[in-house]
Amino acid sequence: MELAELGECLSSVSCIVTQSAAGLTIGMLLFLVASGLTLIFGVLGLVNFAHGSLYMIGAYLALTVHGATQSFALAVVAGTLGTALFGLFFERFLLSRIYGRDVLMQLLVCYAVILILDDLVKIIWGADFRSMGVPEEFRRPPFIIGGGIVPYFYAILFAITAAIAVLLAWGMGRTRFGRIVRAAAINPGMVGALGINTTVIYAAVFAIGAGLAGAAGALSAPIRSVVAGAGVSILIESFIVTVIGGMGSIGGALAAALILGFTRSFGSIGFPLFVEGAMFAMMALVLLLRPSGLGGKRPS
Amino acid sequence: MRDGVLRDAGIATLVLAGFLAVTLGGFGSAGLLDFAIRFATFGLLALSLNLLIGTTGLVSFGHAAYFAMGAYAFGLLMQRAGLSIPLAILLALGCTALLALVVGALCVRLSEIYFAFLTLAFQMLLHSVILSWISLTGGDQGLMGGIPKPPFLGIDLSRPLHLAGFGMACLLVSTVALRQVVRSPFGAALRMLRDNPDRAAFVGLSVYRYRLAAFVIAGTFAGLGGVLMSLYVSGAFPTFAFWTTSGEAIFMIMLGGVTVFLGPLVGVAIFLILNDRITAVTEHHGLFLGIILLVIVLGLRKGLLDFVVDHWRARRGASP
Amino acid sequence: MSKTNATTVGRRALLGGTAALAGFPNIGFTQPRQPIKVGVPTILSGRVAQLGLSSRNAMQIEVDRFNASGGLDGRPIELVVRDSRGVPAEAARLAREMISGEGCEFLLDAEPSSGGFAIHEVVRETGTVTLHVNSETSSLTADPRQRFWNAFRVARQGIHDSIAGGAYAAEIAKARNLRRWMTVSPDYAYGRDTTAEFVEYVKNFHSEIQITGETWPRLFQADYTENITRLSQGRPQAVYSCLWAGDLVTFVEQASIFGLFQQSQFFAVNMADYTTLQQVRNLPAGVHSGNRYLRNFPDVPENQEFAAEYNRRFNTFPTNWSWQAATSVRLLGTALRQAGGTDPRAVAGKLKGMTIDSPFGVGGKLTMRAEDQTLVDYAIGWGVTIAQDPYIQRMTPADWAVIYRLEAEWKRSKGWT
Repeated sequence: MELAELGECLSSVSCIVTQSAAGLTIGMLLFLVASGLTLIFGVLGLVNFAHGSLYMIGAYLALTVHGATQSFALAVVAGTLGTALFGLFFERFLLSRIYGRDVLMQLLVCYAVILILDDLVKIIWGADFRSMGVPEEFRRPPFIIGGGIVPYFYAILFAITAAIAVLLAWGMGRTRFGRIVRAAAINPGMVGALGINTTVIYAAVFAIGAGLAGAAGALSAPIRSVVAGAGVSILIESFIVTVIGGMGSIGGALAAALILGFTRSFGSIGFPLFVEGAMFAMMALVLLLRPSGLGGKRPS
Repeated sequence: MRDGVLRDAGIATLVLAGFLAVTLGGFGSAGLLDFAIRFATFGLLALSLNLLIGTTGLVSFGHAAYFAMGAYAFGLLMQRAGLSIPLAILLALGCTALLALVVGALCVRLSEIYFAFLTLAFQMLLHSVILSWISLTGGDQGLMGGIPKPPFLGIDLSRPLHLAGFGMACLLVSTVALRQVVRSPFGAALRMLRDNPDRAAFVGLSVYRYRLAAFVIAGTFAGLGGVLMSLYVSGAFPTFAFWTTSGEAIFMIMLGGVTVFLGPLVGVAIFLILNDRITAVTEHHGLFLGIILLVIVLGLRKGLLDFVVDHWRARRGASP
Repeated sequence: MSKTNATTVGRRALLGGTAALAGFPNIGFTQPRQPIKVGVPTILSGRVAQLGLSSRNAMQIEVDRFNASGGLDGRPIELVVRDSRGVPAEAARLAREMISGEGCEFLLDAEPSSGGFAIHEVVRETGTVTLHVNSETSSLTADPRQRFWNAFRVARQGIHDSIAGGAYAAEIAKARNLRRWMTVSPDYAYGRDTTAEFVEYVKNFHSEIQITGETWPRLFQADYTENITRLSQGRPQAVYSCLWAGDLVTFVEQASIFGLFQQSQFFAVNMADYTTLQQVRNLPAGVHSGNRYLRNFPDVPENQEFAAEYNRRFNTFPTNWSWQAATSVRLLGTALRQAGGTDPRAVAGKLKGMTIDSPFGVGGKLTMRAEDQTLVDYAIGWGVTIAQDPYIQRMTPADWAVIYRLEAEWKRSKGWT
């Protein structure tokens, strides 16, 4: 433990700025993945263990499109929509066959899909890790705020992810679609009885969740190496977020993702060797004391 | 009840005798011995996990924790304390049971998906501890330097033939024991908890205690699997406690079937053969395994033995 | 299959008959030309698939060369490559199966250290002659408890790299007055040992150096932001890292947007491998790196040709694992020919202390040191990065005399002599 250093950091503006900016960016990228996971669980009652692979697909699609067009904007759009489309097929052709079956079946189908996708990615893009690099237009000197460093590209990432989060909140809270989705999460039978096609709702929600994961993958492709099997570590962190935030709660996922981001950034100063352990310990603690998580419904 | 034990024990003895006759009779290639050891190892892991999944209805994603605990405890006892193998095995199983008791006491209260996550979290916690406690466990390099295997009762486990025989004996004894557990009133209570926990509570069963007992029993037998694994590879590695090991165990059970008692063993055999054949012909191992898994889960919708038994029952039901 | 067998048998009978008729005393050349099977357990899938693929490719080049030049009295080498998926227990199983089930007479173990140690235990029991190709952890051969007659290492190793790196870094540190150092290395055995050794030697060569902070990302961590901000908080004059491959690429991409390389000198022992250098989009100039594999270090035609042939056949460049893998085949092939057969004791005897011609060695020679059965005299040096091909310039070769001296001291300090 280096708690003295943590105290020193917390009393210096530059350190707080640098670590907070890092924590926010890590947390928001994590939120994009975890919000999709929690949305799918909330509405479909399905634990999508293959969610990390969707992140990976988003990253690879963005890499390819960026290579062809040199446009980061197009790359992100392609990564998001392409992954959403893939999610649609995944839901329609595989997952829809196991609705209502126990969690074991969900696990096995997703496990199979993870295995297949990791190999397919290797066949299509090769086994070498790849890197997109920070696009030309974002290679600018970092902002210096109160002596702390905020990289230009991180500021861009934060702006984009925050915009997506706001859009998601507005979509879920203010639109007719959002109200139907929330109703479907509480009582799918009732929504069906009102003449709304739950099949369409399920497919749309899964596609949105997949698109969010794809967006996170595409947005982080410039700064993280893109490689088959990259989904696993993302998956585990998003699970921790989902559990801490409460399964099905988007607000809870946002809070938990930011908590994790800050644990990472400040933890690397205060308790560098226990950052991972702290995350699992937090998850265990939440499960023991409040299984429904920070913002969740009581489990039935 | 007694007849059941005698019959099972008799069958088990016959199987073991048959196995020994084949191997001692000179038909036992090195490949067959290797297969037998691995079959025994994963057989224990899968069979014990099915006590939770199939009989009790608790889907544990963290079963490999006890497998790893058995392997590390046994390896460390042999390396550091220089005990005899039977004593070290007993102590290692004791450690595993204790771990299962502590984790189980915290986990079994939770319902389905939360139970799965919490068991997974504890397994990953154990994995982190193994990785970071380098002075004891060797960290990511695992327990190195080999595990001493002093002969006992004329059994020399450093010889593959003896190890295979010993492994099969462990598996068969455990199979008979677990079958007794499943068929006992205790097992009937577990099934009732699975199918109708409210009614079970109404009858006056303590859901908590029964589930905890099942959890500890399952963990202990998984630990024995871990002991065999550490004997086989002469070491112990952090991957034993990684979630992929739990995932493979669930995969094996699913291949064979959860409703038939011996289903998991069939699954283990299929899994091992698939694994060995596929790695031998392609480097796209995951692609093939994944497709086979999808076909079984979405096509058959149950394990192979489940499918066969249901089919057979349906036909028998139709014929008279 | 059965058809070819039939013709072989037919021809053999015919030849044997002819030989007998002609009264030749020696009919050895009519022996069947059975291939010599060599097992290669490695990783071909997941995040480090590149390790196995680039090892296998290079082995295939050398095996083809060996077979084209007549093999061992006409017997070709046949590689049996299998994927352990990075699971040590699976590596051990594959090794056993290759030996007992598939009739492999030799193993070229292309696993990283974790799987390498597992295979080490297997072949300790089976007595199969084994060349560890990718295990850089020094204790594998330096610790006498790990040593036995049939296991050899054909790879660079941590202690050599650390002494060479320490000597180079200390010179730079003296010239530019770099005293406050920090380290960022992956938190697993290789990362911890290599970093501790580097720190020990850089201080040994320049006593004023202080380590003011360390940060230990997980192996294969997806994001290094928190480690980078930790480094930039510490304001070190120099940073050392033994991150490698995709992890190093991610770290460099992220660190450059934090401006870390303007603030500190960066010493990354594993930077100079083409697959890493080519993947970093914004390769900062002036990063110090040890050589992993470079086609112009040693700058000899045969090395350039190796890279060119590899590139032609596999459409990518060799890695550090490639030169090691190619060398292992060349060593084994030479030993087989010298021993005149596949008897394990004879082949191991020839390998011990063997020196071969190689483009990857200092002065065109590589030696399998007899005392601890590990490769020495391979090309080792440090240089600085530039943004374009050839990516590294100003290579300073390390002094093997210094490495030998300090390595011997290090072994003594461990009680390993």
